[in-house]
Amino acid sequence: MLHHQLAWFVAGPIMGLCVVACRALFNGRLGVTGGFSELISKLSHGSLSFDWRGWFAIGIFAGGAVFLVLWGGPDFHGYGWMTRTFHGSAQIWIPILLVASGGLIGFGAKLAGGCTSGNGLSGNAALSPASLAATATFFATAIVVSFLIKAVI
Amino acid sequence: MRVRIAALGIGLVFGITICWSGMSSPDVIRGALLFEHSYLFLFFASAVATAALGLALLRRRERRALLIDTPLVWTREVPARRHIVGALLFGIGWGVADACPAPIATQIGQGIGWAVFTLAGTLAGVYLFLHRSLPETEPALDVKPSRTPSTGMAGG
Repeated sequence: MLHHQLAWFVAGPIMGLCVVACRALFNGRLGVTGGFSELISKLSHGSLSFDWRGWFAIGIFAGGAVFLVLWGGPDFHGYGWMTRTFHGSAQIWIPILLVASGGLIGFGAKLAGGCTSGNGLSGNAALSPASLAATATFFATAIVVSFLIKAVI
Repeated sequence: MRVRIAALGIGLVFGITICWSGMSSPDVIRGALLFEHSYLFLFFASAVATAALGLALLRRRERRALLIDTPLVWTREVPARRHIVGALLFGIGWGVADACPAPIATQIGQGIGWAVFTLAGTLAGVYLFLHRSLPETEPALDVKPSRTPSTGMAGG
């Protein structure tokens, strides 16, 4: 590990400026799920002519790769509570849980009109009541789920 | 073309910041959701505050986008059932996998194998939504007439 966690008062404002840049440059509402949606929608029709949302998402994948090359990549091993809890043949539960969670994340974010970035950052920054309601709901839900998992494992 | 390059660049900065802030790590997310660390909440709040301040300034000064000829307009939505139900489903997935879409993408970029499953599930969930022909909730351009217009108000 060649890096320390970037200070929150630097990292947070950078994220905020990304939201402002999308709006100022091309009147876009920054959202990662919107990007995934554009990628899957175009790819399922055999097209690669993504609009800005798709290229934004590609940039995030690439950002991870750049971080891997320049900063030495992730400073963690395994996958959180799952690889600590499931061993041997019980590890079959990890892909099952991850695919199911992903399904809820993808469908839920589309239904709610944004994920942690679309609603959480862009929507709240625009003072949209729907985004505030969605953000309060997904934070509260994720906190309850985390404590439930902690109680069970 | 310029818009796509700009979006790619913003995505790169966004993705690197996600990695550098530790948000790719399931244990960092989980530690925050269990109130063991305050980092995520401070990070998130400062991001929203910066973006809100920036958008408020844009609203006062800029009337048109810089790269394409379009007015700077955005909407404020009234909460509906779908926002709550969608956020509930999303919150369950986030709490179990300890990753949301941007960290899933950066995990893939960093070569974390387990994330292939989360990404596959997420794309399937998005596809299922699109396949049901439900209306687009995150369009490329917010061109709908705004309930609270962001242009032409309280000009600078």
